[in-house]
Amino acid sequence: MRLARSGRYLLMAMAVLAAPAAARAQDITASAPVDVSVTVYRDPYRSAGGFDLDNLNGFALVTETRRVVLTPGQHRLRFEGVADGIEPASAIVSGLPTGVIEKNRDAALLSPAALIEAAEAQQGRVRLSRTAPNGVTTRRDGVIRSGADGGVVVETPDGVEALRCSGLQEMLSFEASRTGLSAKPTLSVFTRVNRRIEATVQLSYLARGFDWAADYVVSLAPDGRSLDVGGWITLANGNGAVFPGASVQIVAGRLNRSSGEIEPIDYGRPILARCWPRGSTSDTPDPVYIERAYPLGFEPWRYEGRVMAMPAPMAAMAPEGAMDDRQLIVTGSKMAQQEDLGDLKLYRVPDRSTVSSRQAKQVRFIDSTAVPVKRIYAVDTYPNNTTGFSPMEVILRTQNDKASNLGIPLPAGRVAVFETAGAGASARRLLAGETSLRDLAVDEETEFSLPGGPAVQFRQVTESRELAGAPPPLIAGQTIRPGARFNLADRIELTNAHPFPVEAEVKVYLGYGEELVRSDREPEQKDGRPLFRITVPANATVEFRYQTVGYD
Amino acid sequence: MNVRAVLATACALAALQSAMPSATAQEKSLAITIYADDLALVQDKRPVDITGGRQRIEFAGVSAQIRPETVSLSANGISIVEQNFDFDLLTPAKLMEKAVGSVVTIVRVNPATGQETTEKAEVLATNNGVVLKIGERIEVLRDDGLPVRVIFDRVPENLRSKPTLSVTVDGDRRGSRPATLSYLTSGLGWRADYVALFDDASSKIDVQGWVTLTNSSGTTYDNAETTLVAGSPMRAGQYDSSPYGRPQRPQLVAAGTETGDRERLGDFYLYPLAERTTIANMQTKQVSFLDVHGVPARHGYEFRNYWMGTQEEPQSARTVYRFATGSAEGLGDQLPAGVLRFYMRDKQGDPQFIGESTIDHTPMGSTLSVSTGDAFDVKVKPVVEKREREGLRRWRTTMKYTLTNATPRAVTVTLQQDGLWGDTRIQSETLRSTRPNADMAEWQVSVPANGSSELSVVFDSSY
Repeated sequence: MRLARSGRYLLMAMAVLAAPAAARAQDITASAPVDVSVTVYRDPYRSAGGFDLDNLNGFALVTETRRVVLTPGQHRLRFEGVADGIEPASAIVSGLPTGVIEKNRDAALLSPAALIEAAEAQQGRVRLSRTAPNGVTTRRDGVIRSGADGGVVVETPDGVEALRCSGLQEMLSFEASRTGLSAKPTLSVFTRVNRRIEATVQLSYLARGFDWAADYVVSLAPDGRSLDVGGWITLANGNGAVFPGASVQIVAGRLNRSSGEIEPIDYGRPILARCWPRGSTSDTPDPVYIERAYPLGFEPWRYEGRVMAMPAPMAAMAPEGAMDDRQLIVTGSKMAQQEDLGDLKLYRVPDRSTVSSRQAKQVRFIDSTAVPVKRIYAVDTYPNNTTGFSPMEVILRTQNDKASNLGIPLPAGRVAVFETAGAGASARRLLAGETSLRDLAVDEETEFSLPGGPAVQFRQVTESRELAGAPPPLIAGQTIRPGARFNLADRIELTNAHPFPVEAEVKVYLGYGEELVRSDREPEQKDGRPLFRITVPANATVEFRYQTVGYD
Repeated sequence: MNVRAVLATACALAALQSAMPSATAQEKSLAITIYADDLALVQDKRPVDITGGRQRIEFAGVSAQIRPETVSLSANGISIVEQNFDFDLLTPAKLMEKAVGSVVTIVRVNPATGQETTEKAEVLATNNGVVLKIGERIEVLRDDGLPVRVIFDRVPENLRSKPTLSVTVDGDRRGSRPATLSYLTSGLGWRADYVALFDDASSKIDVQGWVTLTNSSGTTYDNAETTLVAGSPMRAGQYDSSPYGRPQRPQLVAAGTETGDRERLGDFYLYPLAERTTIANMQTKQVSFLDVHGVPARHGYEFRNYWMGTQEEPQSARTVYRFATGSAEGLGDQLPAGVLRFYMRDKQGDPQFIGESTIDHTPMGSTLSVSTGDAFDVKVKPVVEKREREGLRRWRTTMKYTLTNATPRAVTVTLQQDGLWGDTRIQSETLRSTRPNADMAEWQVSVPANGSSELSVVFDSSY
């Protein structure tokens, strides 16, 4: 149409002649990707736990390299087979020498409903085939007058008829000429070139329906003084698209996401052979579905059965149950390479790998042995509170530094802790507990906290509660004395049923203006709170008291 | 043959091809103005044939989400008698319903032989079943379940496959003339999408801006002249930039005061698309409007603590990028509201996504401070060390902030302590603070590479 505006009559006339066609640029389909890179980001709102394979809320940056050949003129360059979870607004196309006039993502895919809609809009010829019960088929050419509301009205030389209302077997076939519909999600760009160009084009976009999780396996040495840490990255693709031979990266850290809902891909609505009322004097058959417009399995969450993300593969663990059509691929034990990406961490899967549709893939990213660790029994308490006996929490504490054979960023994830039971030939490695890690930078204190067993217990008993000094004067109109001070004495009992001494930490939470005034043991300060470090001897009980002053 | 003759022939041919007999391509034009708020103004200019006297003009291909009350038709020498928006859709059931009282053809098919028997039947009723009168007999259509085809002679006038607008006009004289149909519709919207590539070494960003149009109005607009209005005339504040579960941080640090060369509509800026475009139904379309390179941007860290906030685990500071939108050392444009996506090159040189943020309509010359996410390696651990009672209504609070940096270079963190309400004063501090507002104290804490810094502050407050 640009020519029409040039003001030259002859050209204008030609443009008018060509009007219906000129509006459309020439369609050129880019090659299938010759190179793909997939960078997977975790769900920013998921905590340290695993993900749900049926509902992957993370995303990925997909970068595809494709080849195109352009002849002079305006083109609609089509990139077929992009991921179905594509966020079209995030698409970036680079490598076209003349730039991009506009980018389009058509949501409508080739489906029965879309075929009818296209045939109706273009007034294209359709062929109605009708087969009588005796097997004789007659064919009539006609046009679709309406496909509104799931009912189809066809006009043939016979007259106007409704599809599938006669009780005869009827079907439509469509002209094979272009419907402009693609079978696979497609992104297209308009570009204009004035010479023949062979270009390598990069298309990158964000796509939903991916996620990844870090899973750690911690094995405690029999002496309990050190542990081995192994970590796996599990990444999953819930899209229908396959990324063969892709370079795969994952990014750790929390980043902002603010894209809201994306325009869903239109798989077409089902076509119902809606007819006129079919009541008879006997019974009423149900309307008949002639087509289902939903391709099976396009929405991952429609699959039945929900399996949580697999824990790290462990010889000691029972294999997962039925995985229906899902696959779990463990890619060797080559380590993923970590690098900094701004304020985030990027892990590179060592070799090129195929990220299949509906697949979870695991790759090793950490393998540290002989990490020195302290086993601490910990409890949090506060004054003026009498409790019963309860098991103390177990903390395996180390420092994320080189001296501790760590010193690498540890992304948030689940931790399975194994300990050895028995000794010698009967020694078995068993799961001691499951916990989680937050994102840990190098040099941070690293704690694996596990629920404790009954062997080490804690209780607190409030022994006395007394008003300190003379009560302050009552303010007229108020029933509570302001600032009344109380002296409180609490007793702590720690019991140890183990045949060896254990280290315990009791942290006391103090309220506004509460103070620790006296205690049997010397407290340390941690995070602004008094902390008692106590060694409880083997098969023994330790008792101590602390006094606080608090305000009412 | 002269040029004029060619044109005339071409027009005649085009007229024959076209569904609208008198429409010539150069007289038809479609203009669409899209507001950032699911609202669009469609101005559809096309020639209409006026017969003189009263006549009905139909406009096919108007938006399926048209707001019929906003339709106006203007052309010389016509007066509007009435406007109708027919949304009675052509379905088999409607076809049968409209045939009540008229005669249709029925074809019975013998299941065994396939032999067809054709009869004429009058449709009597379609209430929960079709009742036909054939000759002197009355029967229910397909009562026996055997195949019966029903053939209608024609489709009734006002049944359409798409909602259709029709206007009854009174014309003064015969002849074709241009008419403009304008109406408001929903289902068309737009926003901006920005791609910012940050270069760490030079502290510069390249920014591309795209307008993203979405069309779910049910109609395709062919070859439309499109203008986008950066503003929501209906209501404001459509984009809420508050991140989930976090205190709001201002993104617009300084509102700009520069005037650009873009066309305006009242207080809103207009973004006309350079070329006519076809906006297909269910399409997401993007057109570039901004492409600037090498704009200085500052990468920084920010952490805001609540009043009396103690964290037992260090918390990540926010990664913040700050840049200007002015004509000097800035993006040099007004920015329509949308999503700003940040990318950065990895060690192999490939751009990777590092986070995004929504921005509001931003005037030129502003300073924006946009957060992309949390810093893995830069963390802050605020701790209430002491809380002492000074009197009946007086408290002394000692805070210690430990800032750690696991990156191999020194960083500066903007540390903010919120919640300094009332007459809260800072009694002592190990680093000089500023008070951006009465409720907040702010420190610029430098943290050495692979190291940590500490800041102690004593607050004197009445709560």
